[in-house]
Amino acid sequence: MLKVENLTTRYGRIEVLHGIDLEVAEGEIVSVIGANGAGKTTLLRCLSGVQPISGGSIRFRGEPLTAAPHKRAGLGLGHSPEGRQIFTNLSVEENLRLGGYSRKGATREDIAEAYEMFPILGEKRHLPAGGLSGGQQQMLAIGRALMSRPACLLLDEPSMGLAPLLQKQIFDTVEELKARGVTVLLVEQNAYGALKISDRGYVMETGRITMSGPSAELVADPRIREAYLGV
Amino acid sequence: MDAFLQFVFSGLTVGAVYALVALGFTIIYNASDVVNFAQGEFVMLGGMITWFAHDAGLPLWAAALIAIALTSLVGVALNKLAIEPARGAPVISIIIITIGASILIQGAAQLVFDKQIHRYPAFSGDAPIEVMGATILPQSIWVILGALAVFVALWLFFTRTLMGKAVLATANNRLAAQLVGIDTGGIMTLSFALSAAIGALAGVLVTPITLVSYDVGVALALKGFAGAMLGGMGNPKGALVGGLVLGLLEALTAGYLSSQYKDAVAFIVILGVLFVMPQGLFGKTAAERV
Repeated sequence: MLKVENLTTRYGRIEVLHGIDLEVAEGEIVSVIGANGAGKTTLLRCLSGVQPISGGSIRFRGEPLTAAPHKRAGLGLGHSPEGRQIFTNLSVEENLRLGGYSRKGATREDIAEAYEMFPILGEKRHLPAGGLSGGQQQMLAIGRALMSRPACLLLDEPSMGLAPLLQKQIFDTVEELKARGVTVLLVEQNAYGALKISDRGYVMETGRITMSGPSAELVADPRIREAYLGV
Repeated sequence: MDAFLQFVFSGLTVGAVYALVALGFTIIYNASDVVNFAQGEFVMLGGMITWFAHDAGLPLWAAALIAIALTSLVGVALNKLAIEPARGAPVISIIIITIGASILIQGAAQLVFDKQIHRYPAFSGDAPIEVMGATILPQSIWVILGALAVFVALWLFFTRTLMGKAVLATANNRLAAQLVGIDTGGIMTLSFALSAAIGALAGVLVTPITLVSYDVGVALALKGFAGAMLGGMGNPKGALVGGLVLGLLEALTAGYLSSQYKDAVAFIVILGVLFVMPQGLFGKTAAERV
């Protein structure tokens, strides 16, 4: 589905990703864990094109991914960005409609599906999205990214800033997406939550992949347990 | 009573021009949070180009279409050459750039056209129409209908179309707009083209009444800006009502008090309103959870 080879990028003159290799197969949930500032968000930004790459290559569904950022949603690459980034001045429903912009607007059925997944959004459909709570905004961000019917969804820190119960609900949602056939690349600081639901995982440190493997193995690895799981 | 109605007619005419300028502000503001102070120059270009094309022998309607098309191109050029290169700069810097652009366009207009005052014939003649003892020029009706038509079109655009929502989304969060597939650069180009076209339309409609010269833009931009602030920046309804109210205030002050006080009274009322309602009459209060 997604194959990243030797990817580098820089902010100004400073290289921040130093040759990332990563692969996501169809139907997988793959998690990228790591501390704040490791480059996880930057990696996702490179994939959706809003951060230009300085070297390496990205292949998406077998083709080199070089399209302009705004064309990538239409190719089947959805991105729910860090910090949710919902359209605060528009209503919940307008946010969802725009989520399907690459398909000329989300259909009624798509939106109904999002409300089924997140009933609270349905209750607040006509309210400005800026007034939603953090958890609701996160649901809206995911819902909006799904409106383009992505084959592969990039999820950036969906659990950030949420209460444990809400975190669990979000992770459950991600598993549900997998069941629906959406491939997910999940970036998380909540390493345990992410590894628990993912098939494989990568560990990122200061712009490099330092470990990778099946999530079950990573969870059991003593180095990871010490550094990221706090046990 | 006759006098009152007369003042109302002239107020509505002037107000409709302010409303058109304010509506032009609305689009660019909605797409980028930028107040484009070159908006008044679009009005000037609309009138000037129409006059020159008409003077060169084209029928008035063709001259007007050419003026609107060329002014749209100027709007697109303004975006490409001055606004886009400054992307990422604070909004206030971009606003200052638009003031610079306004001065540049004015200077260029002096060179390309001339420094004379021009007028072309009114669309439907100059015979005043009598209404309940007062009179109104046919051209005034053109101006008022023009403002109403643009308002309705914009209101439908922003509330009913996906493209309109995409414009609002681009201003609110450019990153997220790109991620859902909105060509944010294209949206900016569209906004400047539309804004300039609306400004030019105002110029086309109003020149038979108020005449045009290279320097009419600044005053119009200020008044249109005041109208937009009064109504609530970013809201087409606010732009229409704000512009009309401003025009009426001016006309009534000029009629009953003195024409020397018309600007002062208008601005005092605006200040009063903004003290009580800082968002303007129809502006949304920004309620955001962070």
